Amino acid sequence: MSMSASIATGTIIRSELGDFSSIVCFKAVVVGVEEALGEKAAAISLIAAGRARGKELVNDLNLAGSNLAPEAITALMQKALGKDGTRLCLVDKVSQDGAVIHVFCRETVCSAGEPQGSNRHLTFTLGAIQGVLEKITGKRLRGKQTESVLRGGSHDVLEFVTLG
Amino acid sequence: MAINTEKLNSLLQNFVSATNDVQGAALVTPDGLPLATSLPSSIDEERTAAMSAAMLSLGERISTEFARGDVDRIFVEGNKGYGILTSCGEDAVFLVLASQAAKQGLLMLEIKRALGELKLLLN
Repeated sequence: MSMSASIATGTIIRSELGDFSSIVCFKAVVVGVEEALGEKAAAISLIAAGRARGKELVNDLNLAGSNLAPEAITALMQKALGKDGTRLCLVDKVSQDGAVIHVFCRETVCSAGEPQGSNRHLTFTLGAIQGVLEKITGKRLRGKQTESVLRGGSHDVLEFVTLG
Repeated sequence: MAINTEKLNSLLQNFVSATNDVQGAALVTPDGLPLATSLPSSIDEERTAAMSAAMLSLGERISTEFARGDVDRIFVEGNKGYGILTSCGEDAVFLVLASQAAKQGLLMLEIKRALGELKLLLN
């Protein structure tokens, strides 16, 4: 397993500060890019960056095309992205209903620190999860956020359908 | 109804092979995912899709900021050729790459014609 896929709670990359950086800085990047490029172009860029990250993760784990069951994908995401992983978000459940995949997450880096009622949507997080699913299933997906913890939901819910 | 990507791919391939000096084309979603592509092998379609959608969106923002009205197209002219981005309705962005030898007027006409056919397939 490469460094990017390994559990990064230690000091693998930075010897003194450790491998985590504050959400405050991440959010400042997001807001700054949005101000420069506009919300839509920023979202496209962040989703693309997330997809690349998700795909890289699956490649590093040698799981490309593995067609894992939803339960196994849940476990994988919990380990790689959750408390013992890179802490992008908590993934509570991945479910599949025919061709539609739903992912239920909480404490996402994208929603963190936002006030209740904020209209912010998941971008990097959506992309990262989409990249993981695309690489595992071998299908090209289109994702959208259907529920938000910022707008009354218990989870940030993502819905993915096969594109084309 | 699902989008027929086979037909879209076929249409793009015909457009690229039948239009003088056109080197590649791609149809991407407004959120930056590739729908159909006929691009040179050296060009990454995923990156192209994200860049195309982001660039059209950025162009629209610039146009709004500077009160330039609705964006018809984004035209990139380099010393080796052209990259032209055109909105293809609400559901797609059309990218065309052409060599420096391309006649701009003819190219725009061909793009307009292809857009009409693409929109029919998307609706």
